[in-house]
Amino acid sequence: MPGRKVAVVGMGGAFPDCSDLTDFSTKLFSNKSLIREWDKAIAYGKNIRSSVSGFITEEEMGLDVIYSSLADNNYPETYIDKLNRIPDGNLATADIGCIWAMLGSLDAIKMAGWTNKEVQSEQTGVIMGSGGAGNAILRVAWHNFYELGKKTRLAGSHTVDRTMVYREAANVSCLIKNKGICEAIGSACATGLGNIGYAYRLIKFGLQDRIIAGGVEGTSLETFIGFDGMQVLSRGFSPQESSRPFDLNRNGFVCSFGCGIVALEEYEQAKARGANIIGVIDEYFNNSDGDGDMFYPSFSGQKRLWKGLLSSPALKPDVVKVHGTSTPAGDSIELLSVVDVLGEDGYHICAPKSQFGHMLGAAGSVEFITALLMLKEQKVLPCLNSVTLNPELEPFQKSEKWEGPIKPLEAYRQLIPQQSIAKEINHITCLNYGFGGTNSAISISRDN
Amino acid sequence: MERQEIIDGLVEILKTVRTIDPQKLVGVTEQTDFITDLNTPSTEMINIVAKTEQKFGVEFDDDDIDDLGSKVKNVVDLIIKTKEKESE
Repeated sequence: MPGRKVAVVGMGGAFPDCSDLTDFSTKLFSNKSLIREWDKAIAYGKNIRSSVSGFITEEEMGLDVIYSSLADNNYPETYIDKLNRIPDGNLATADIGCIWAMLGSLDAIKMAGWTNKEVQSEQTGVIMGSGGAGNAILRVAWHNFYELGKKTRLAGSHTVDRTMVYREAANVSCLIKNKGICEAIGSACATGLGNIGYAYRLIKFGLQDRIIAGGVEGTSLETFIGFDGMQVLSRGFSPQESSRPFDLNRNGFVCSFGCGIVALEEYEQAKARGANIIGVIDEYFNNSDGDGDMFYPSFSGQKRLWKGLLSSPALKPDVVKVHGTSTPAGDSIELLSVVDVLGEDGYHICAPKSQFGHMLGAAGSVEFITALLMLKEQKVLPCLNSVTLNPELEPFQKSEKWEGPIKPLEAYRQLIPQQSIAKEINHITCLNYGFGGTNSAISISRDN
Repeated sequence: MERQEIIDGLVEILKTVRTIDPQKLVGVTEQTDFITDLNTPSTEMINIVAKTEQKFGVEFDDDDIDDLGSKVKNVVDLIIKTKEKESE
C-alpha cells in the first residue's frame, strides 16, 4: 500500500536500576551507568568469570515470586503483582520476561491513547520476541525430571506456555485481547529491532494499523552463564566501567536484561486522532553476512546493510545509534563501516550499551527507545568509557583484502562523545546485529 | 482419614491457587465442582492433583488421573482408594 508511513506513539518497558521510563531517561542523559555487581553471579565464585550485569530484580518491578512446593531449586510457580497491574490468570502463564512485556505493553498503549475498541480490533497486532528460551523455567523443570527422577506433573502445567518461542507475544495478546497478528521474530541480538522492523512492514504494507512491538530478555543467570562460558563477557573493571565500546582496553560485553516495547500506528491515522507522535520510521532493512561465519562481524555485510537502508530517500542521520557491544572484534568493524558509508564528520555515534550493557533479545528495542528519547530531548547519549581509541591500525586493516578506511580508530574520536551533548537531531539510524550474521537497521525521524 | 479432613486439606491447597477466587472456597463440599463452581482453569487441575499427592502422601496412577472427575468427591474418593491400594 504505497504512501503508508508508520508513527511511534507509545513506549514502555523494563530497565535496569530504574523505576520507570522517566527515570531511565533521566539517568541516561545524566551519563549514569545502570550496571551493577550481580549477587547471583558472585554466589558462584570462580565458576563464573564475569560478575557485572544490568539486571532487574522481581522486587524492583513490584513483583513477588511464589515458589513451587512440588519442585526443588526455587521453581517459580507463579508471580504476584503487588501493584495489581496484571490479573493472576495472566501471571500464571508468564515467565518474568513475559510479565515485563505485559507491563511495557500496558504503558505503551496508555501513552498511545488507544481505546479498548482499537486495541481489541483485527487491525491491532502484537509482534515481539526474546533472544533466549525460558531458561530459568526450563532448567529447574528438567533438573527435577532428569536429575531428581520426579514425575513430569511436578513441574506443573505451565512449562510450555512460559518457555515457548513466542511466549511474550502470546502473553501480551492474551492480556490485551487484540484480534490481529500475533507473532515473534527471533534473530539473536537483533531480535528487538527485528520485531519492530517486521511490525513496521506489516503496517506499511497495509496488513495492520496498530502494533505493539518489541523485544525482551528476562533476568536469567542461566542465560548469563552461556555467554560467560564463551569467555566473551567483560571482566576486570568496576561495574560502571565494564561496558566500554570502542575503548582500546575493552575486553567483552556486559550481559544485561530488560524489555523495550513500542506502540506503532499508521501515520495518517495517528495524526488524524491527534496522537503524540514520538517519531516516524523512515525505513527498515535487514540482511545476512553471507560469509558462513556464525560469530565474526562482517564489514561487507554491514556495508550492504547501509546500502539497503539508504536505497530509499536517503536521510543522512544526525546520530548513529550503533550496536557497540564492547567486544574487541565487533566495535572496530562497526565503527569503520559507519565511517566508510557516512564519512568522517557531520554526525555523532552513540552506544547505549556503554550505560546498561547488552540486553540480548531486548537490546534492539530498548536502544530504539533510547533513540526516540534522543529525538525528544535533542541530546546525543554518551558512549561511556570510550576513553582511548586505538592509535594504531587494527590487524585486519593491514590485510591486502581490506577495502575500508585506513585510518586507526583514534582518527574518529570526535564522532563519539563520552558525555551527553545537546544538538539538533532530526534523523537517527539504529543498528543491531546478531549471531548467525544477521544485521538490522532502522531509520527514524522527528515528526515535522 | 475422615472425608471432611481430606476436604479441609483440599481447600488449603486451593487457597494456594491464585487463579481461584478465595471467596468461592467458603462452604466447599464433596459436590463442589472445580470447573463449574470454582472456575478453576483446566490447566491448573494437574497442579492441584500434584499438590494433593504431596499433601496426602500418595501417588496416583496416570490412568486414575485421566479418569478423574471434576468434583471434590472424585478427588476424595481417589485419595482413599489410592491409600487403600498402597496399604495392601
